[in-house]
Amino acid sequence: MAELIDNAADTQAASVAEQEANSKEPMIRIEGLHKSFGDHEVLRGIDLSVMPGQVVTIIGSSGSGKSTLLRCLNLLETPDAGHVWFHGKDLVAERVGVNQLREKIGMVFQSFNLFNNMNVLDNCTLAPVTLKKMGKDEAERVAMEHLEEVGLTEFAKADVRRLSGGQKQRVAIARALCMRPDLMLFDEPTSALDPEIVGEVLEVMHQLARDGMTMVVVTHEMTFAREVSDEVVFMDKGIIAEQGSPEQLFSNPQHPRTREFLARYLKDE
Amino acid sequence: MSTVFSSAPARGRFASFVLNDHRYVLLGTSAVAFIGMMLSSMSRPALSFLAPYYTVELVMYYVLVAWLVLSAIALAFKVMYRERYAAKAPFARAGVKQAVRYGSYIVWAITAVFILDRLVMGIASAWTAALAATARPQDDLLQGMFYIVWHDRYTFLAGLITTIELAVFGTIAAFFLALLLAFCRIQKIDRADNDFMRAVKSVACSFAKGYSTVIRGTPMMIQAMIIYPAIFGLLKGTGMSTTEVNAVWTPFWGGLLTIILNSTAYMMEVLRGGIEAVDPGQMEGARSLGLSQWQAMTRVVFPQGIKHAIPGLSNELVVNIKDSSVLSVIGTFDLMFANTTVTGIYYNQLQPSLISAAIYLCLTMIASWLLGKFARHFDVQPEPLGSTSDQTLVGEE
Repeated sequence: MAELIDNAADTQAASVAEQEANSKEPMIRIEGLHKSFGDHEVLRGIDLSVMPGQVVTIIGSSGSGKSTLLRCLNLLETPDAGHVWFHGKDLVAERVGVNQLREKIGMVFQSFNLFNNMNVLDNCTLAPVTLKKMGKDEAERVAMEHLEEVGLTEFAKADVRRLSGGQKQRVAIARALCMRPDLMLFDEPTSALDPEIVGEVLEVMHQLARDGMTMVVVTHEMTFAREVSDEVVFMDKGIIAEQGSPEQLFSNPQHPRTREFLARYLKDE
Repeated sequence: MSTVFSSAPARGRFASFVLNDHRYVLLGTSAVAFIGMMLSSMSRPALSFLAPYYTVELVMYYVLVAWLVLSAIALAFKVMYRERYAAKAPFARAGVKQAVRYGSYIVWAITAVFILDRLVMGIASAWTAALAATARPQDDLLQGMFYIVWHDRYTFLAGLITTIELAVFGTIAAFFLALLLAFCRIQKIDRADNDFMRAVKSVACSFAKGYSTVIRGTPMMIQAMIIYPAIFGLLKGTGMSTTEVNAVWTPFWGGLLTIILNSTAYMMEVLRGGIEAVDPGQMEGARSLGLSQWQAMTRVVFPQGIKHAIPGLSNELVVNIKDSSVLSVIGTFDLMFANTTVTGIYYNQLQPSLISAAIYLCLTMIASWLLGKFARHFDVQPEPLGSTSDQTLVGEE
């Protein structure tokens, strides 16, 4: 973890993101998003924009719809109504190529979801080799770069089932990065981890944010949300109750539910 | 003595009882002595090698009796003194303890001699007598069975070979069909599919469901009685004569097809159970990277699901060895048919059936032993022998 190399590709990605940022065109724009599971309405009209290079953190209590919102962004859940524009293309209305879309959107899960039948390196190279028609050698070179970023080069040939939770999550991040995504979604990436190894994953995410990656993070790590995000969104019962800069939201919350939620969390910390 | 055995490595429950536990020496060995006495009082078989040595046998018998008496005395001491047994009884003294243990070895040896003389030589005698007999011995079960085994060995062998062929080829062919059907069964409409794919998937899935319901909901015997004549009729419908049809569509092929079609349904459910037992997160992880449903299935989910399914799949071979017996209704010459044939020859149902049962048992035990080795090769736990096609399936609705 000590040395994170600053490679050329990331610098380039950052500069592309910067250009997009200057054009003030949001990378992802959500409008009036609704989603129900049976009778239970999980999302009740969400509007949100994420600018390129921005880190947006979604906080809120369990069952508030944070994860569902995130999963609607790469269509792991199909929204019932509303629009999601990604690079100006509506994902909901048109029958878009879901698979091509997901190549551009990396996702990190709470339960890692590493492929148990493969070693670390094969986890990272499966998608690039299958989808990008990248040669095995090239894919492995790229994978090793990303494994180095997360500090796990020596585990390249290891069985993923033998890794610790923190190591698994770092592999999951490297695996997503191997597809060179424009956007990274993090679905409670540290919730399944022991408190003492949460730090190693957050450190990797921190570095990713510094390198200019556009990120949407669902988390309960308030310190991380405060330090890293450009924008914090507080969700309550399927709607965005409050949103703003971290300073604004953490120091001066307006909504009573936000105050209640933060009081509970900040007391624990 | 105890120092010798205490340095020994950890043993199984029985072995450690015999070798380490002193209570065994008197009580356990007296059971062995009793078995020896029972054997010695059995009538001598024709090939008994002890027959000329009556005195030796008598001495051996009284050694066993003496052992029982000794044990009874020890027991009396134990009942009298209970916790003070070690202090009071002469058997607890170091020298006597050791002598008694050596004595127990002698008891074992004597009993072993009796087992050899009465049981092993008894079987050999029955076998010799059965071979020499001109007609099936009526009054001796063992001799009767040996007579049948020897005189109808080719009938049983022919049946045995057919049973093995049916089970092995049937299971292998059914596995590949089941793979195909399981893929149909687990198809889910995906967002990326066009209308044609959606139609194909829903038809495939419904077909697999319906197939499984029909096949698993009817007895294999009835299936055989439908499949064999139905295809016979179809072939006749093409203008072939009965003789021509009989030449190609034999009861063997009818039986094999029945077993394949039947086993396919069960194996499909086992495969489906295995695939559905894979954490759904594996599929999500693969899809989130942009892999298609097919790619995620073939590269990530299926390789893991098949591992869950291996015990159930290999169990299907054992089930087929047994269940192929119902195919004799259409005249498939399997072991069951051989059994019926031999039963008809001798007007005796018990003896041929005992023989067939022994053969089936050997077959299934060998099969499950081989499959266990196979399963361990894939790093999975084998299932115990004995389930049938009525087994409850993983993930069944």
